[in-house]
Amino acid sequence: MNIKQSIVLRVRVAFIVVTLFAGLIFYRVAHLQFVEGEKWQAKSESLNFQYRQVSATRGNIYAADGSLLSTSLPFYRVVIDPLVAKQEVFDKGIDSLSYLLSSFYRDKSADAYKRSIKDARVSGKRYLILNRKQIGYQEMQAMSNWPIFRNGRLGGGVIFEKVEKRYRPFNNLASRTVGFLNEDKYGVGVEYSFNEYLEGKNGKALFQRIAGGSWKPVFDAEDVKPDDGFDVYTTLDVNIQDVAESALLRQLMSKDAEYGSVIVMEVATGKIKAIANLQKNKSGYGYSENYNFAVGDQGLTEPGSTFKLLSMLALLEEGKINLNEKIETGDGTFRFFDRTMRDAKQGGYGEITIKEAFEKSSNVAVSRLVNEHFGHQPKKFMSYIEKAGLNQPIGFQLKGEGAPYFKNPDERNWYGTTLPWMSIGYETKLTPLHTLMLYNAVANGGKMVKPMIVEGIAKANKIEKRFDTEVLRKSIASAKTIRQLQELLEGVVENGTAKNVHNKDYKIAGKTGTAQKLIDGRYTQRYYTSFAGYFPADNPKYSAIVVIDSPKGFNAYGGDISAPVFKEIADKIYSQDLEINVKSQPKFQFANLKTDEFPYIQAGKVDELQMLCNKFGISNHYNDGGEAWVKSTVVNKAIQWKANKVEAPTMPDVSGLSLRDALYVLENKGLRVVYQGKGRVKNQSINPGATISQNSVISLVLG
Amino acid sequence: MNKAKEFIDRNLKGDPIIWAIVILLSIISILVVYSATGTLAYKYKGGNTETYIVKHAFLVFLSLGVMWAVHKIPYKTFGIIGKLLLFVSVPLLIFTYFFGSNINDANRWLTIPVIDQAFQPSDLAKLALIATLASFLAGKQRNIRDFKNTFIPVMIAVGVICGLIGIANMSTAVLLLVTCLLLMFIGRVPMRYTFLIVMVGMLALTAAVFFGQRGGTFVSRIENFISGEEIPYQAEQSYIAISTGGITGKGPGNSEQRNSLPHPYSDFIYAIIIEEYGLVGGGGVLLLYLALLYRGMRIVASSTKPFGGLLSAGLSFALVLQAMVNMAVAVGLGPITGLPLPLLSMGGTSLIFTGFSLGIILSVSRGDHEDAEAPIVEGNNRPRRAFQPA
Repeated sequence: MNIKQSIVLRVRVAFIVVTLFAGLIFYRVAHLQFVEGEKWQAKSESLNFQYRQVSATRGNIYAADGSLLSTSLPFYRVVIDPLVAKQEVFDKGIDSLSYLLSSFYRDKSADAYKRSIKDARVSGKRYLILNRKQIGYQEMQAMSNWPIFRNGRLGGGVIFEKVEKRYRPFNNLASRTVGFLNEDKYGVGVEYSFNEYLEGKNGKALFQRIAGGSWKPVFDAEDVKPDDGFDVYTTLDVNIQDVAESALLRQLMSKDAEYGSVIVMEVATGKIKAIANLQKNKSGYGYSENYNFAVGDQGLTEPGSTFKLLSMLALLEEGKINLNEKIETGDGTFRFFDRTMRDAKQGGYGEITIKEAFEKSSNVAVSRLVNEHFGHQPKKFMSYIEKAGLNQPIGFQLKGEGAPYFKNPDERNWYGTTLPWMSIGYETKLTPLHTLMLYNAVANGGKMVKPMIVEGIAKANKIEKRFDTEVLRKSIASAKTIRQLQELLEGVVENGTAKNVHNKDYKIAGKTGTAQKLIDGRYTQRYYTSFAGYFPADNPKYSAIVVIDSPKGFNAYGGDISAPVFKEIADKIYSQDLEINVKSQPKFQFANLKTDEFPYIQAGKVDELQMLCNKFGISNHYNDGGEAWVKSTVVNKAIQWKANKVEAPTMPDVSGLSLRDALYVLENKGLRVVYQGKGRVKNQSINPGATISQNSVISLVLG
Repeated sequence: MNKAKEFIDRNLKGDPIIWAIVILLSIISILVVYSATGTLAYKYKGGNTETYIVKHAFLVFLSLGVMWAVHKIPYKTFGIIGKLLLFVSVPLLIFTYFFGSNINDANRWLTIPVIDQAFQPSDLAKLALIATLASFLAGKQRNIRDFKNTFIPVMIAVGVICGLIGIANMSTAVLLLVTCLLLMFIGRVPMRYTFLIVMVGMLALTAAVFFGQRGGTFVSRIENFISGEEIPYQAEQSYIAISTGGITGKGPGNSEQRNSLPHPYSDFIYAIIIEEYGLVGGGGVLLLYLALLYRGMRIVASSTKPFGGLLSAGLSFALVLQAMVNMAVAVGLGPITGLPLPLLSMGGTSLIFTGFSLGIILSVSRGDHEDAEAPIVEGNNRPRRAFQPA
């Protein structure tokens, strides 16, 4: 065999070996397809197709005027995988990135950011949370253009983790009432109580894995479409809520009190216009909404003197007393068995009428009367409580309502002293909402309506459910009794313990309450002060209750602590609410216009001014063109517009502009405006043409 | 029609079947790479899928151009060029190891200054080594059994080159070693020497494993494959691609696994081919490679000089062996290597070197480059014959 033959033979042997190997590969492919096929296909489906949840959008919560109280917004947490960026990208961008991060978050120096990212890169940590603060969508968009970040998730390693967050445009306004829902579906307020409507139903859809590790929905008949949540419309009025919160806060701070609550309700409908709850922070500094004392369990307390209204109702309804009847209160003490009833005034009120007794909140008088008339038949007294609907929970729309507590004459803990003390608001527990409901009924001519905070549930424009005012008792007492009770409540403000809130503009009716606090079974020198009432007394529109717990200092009486808060709120509502304020509106009168005088428009926006002039048939000309803002001059019975360059970067000339236009122009330039007078701008404190520094103050004189 | 045939006859010399196979594979390559780079385009080019395919198609045509140019060069030249390049490639490999650009934790790439194109010096070294080996073995055919003068130089050349490649790229080194052993077998080097070189090679590779950059990866891949307990992610995805392809496949461009399979356009392109074109397509590609090898083998039989035959055989086997290894990995017959599939995978300059070696094979196949020297027959009464062992 020669060399060539040998070589050819060897090549053939090698070829056969390779061919056999190729056969093996083919066999293996066939094996994978036909023998192991099912296994891998199943795996493929589980890896490439998944039923994934499609989240439903949670509904919004609105105030009565349509203001948004709570909505869902996407927020992002910024995380980086520091190992992703290529060395040159990383080296080039790290300094400016750290600087930007530092100046954005303002919590760490640029060096500290640089160090933490570099450390993570060196130590191979693949998930570094740059900052726990969650950022908004706009900020996220801006951040994606930062160095390293701009290379994206796969090139720069930045991860924006999306978090759906509840956002309250009014921040802490009514925050406890709007409420929240945590991840365990527990929470408070509207968010919790109406969660079943708000949350909607998550859907499920088949998704296919696509390039870049994302998931793409594959439209499929099996899909369960997400059902977005309903919007909840509350009865809250953001303006009243705001007034209520700020008035309450001011008083709490000045008296260093523990907590306070305010409820404002519409008399006729029971719609709650505001619920404010503020409690001293644990740190001892400042107040915040931590608990809904107005409605919840912890808000249950001995109501004190505000409960005397119920006692009077019972006495009057029984027909046993006359308001002008005299009663002897003596030296202000009276002994029931082993306990002594005391009046607030040292030495007592002597002999006074029943009306006066109520106005001065005499404990002796009320308890003696109730004990005299109901002492032998306490169940009769209890039946009035029942008739007024105070003995059971209201069935309020918010979950977690406190249930009232009353002793039962048949039980062993009913003592001879129970009834007299109950008549002045002790030995019983009510929430402020319950007390307010009673006062509201009196204001409403005896008709007791159920307080409500949510009036409707809707999606888009379709109303799903509407909550109407519910009448609990058509009449809690006879018309005559109600009239007398109203008279009593008006008397409290005119002559009694709440004289300080009396005013000439409109009438307030109400009752003060000052209860000693029972702590560990003993009455202490701490007080629970309240004022419940309604206004305007002649034609009640709103009822409200203010409670303030443990105020410090002298005069810790309801009349001194809570009533002023009530008045402040009532004043604001009165001045804003046109419906109850009609009579005080001065009639609008046209000023004595001199019709022959040329109407001189000084300055403004050219398109508006031209339109006005044309409507009135005043000839006007604009030659300069271009500029949107003008000043006027008069040329031969016609107006000549002259361009006023307010959009230049320097201080504009705003003289002659209306205040509205001047504010628009100046605030757009970042200036803060203070003004005095009425009319058009006469004078400006910064001369036209001066350079503008942001946030500086400019004062305008109008006239 | 005739004019076209004339044109082809005039310009495309050499084995027409090889031309046909290469062009067919190039077309398949462009189709599959276009489909497989979708994910890549999405990740890095903002979804602009044309970027990769334009570049790839350009390189395919460039490599065909190189092939055409090379097949016009008389193949004898490559013996000398090969030797020269071999000497150049040693410092180049060392330089790359220390200063080359780092991709996947190994310095395999060297950027040519001026034209700013990265290439793997190992591709060059491989070509040079095979050409040199073929030339050397051809020259030593008469005293092929001479241990000192024939075997030792061969062993040194193969050992040095494979060792240098092995420190950065173990799979390529092992494959090259196997190709060289096969070439030595074909070139009639006694088997017992071959065993010796296997031993030396093993030693060199072991050393490279311990001292090289990618030793850890290499060991763990082999371990994983042998133990077979845990199927690596890539392999699993590859099996899914193959088994869901079925007999006729999902159709061109319909691959799903390209999104989860790493390197679907190079290391695992065979899995994507089966997924899209089925068992039929996969088998077809296998047959094309076998046909290429068969035509390469035919040249050995038809060539009149051992150098031509050995050169053609060495290059054909180098190409087809790499193809077989790549496909074996994709179907799970071997540990994951990271070797591309020649002629099909996307992969810059490797394509050019593939074109170069195919050009050489075609050059040999032309036959008209052969001079009229009489065939060497064993038993020619040359003096050295006497020194050969019986």
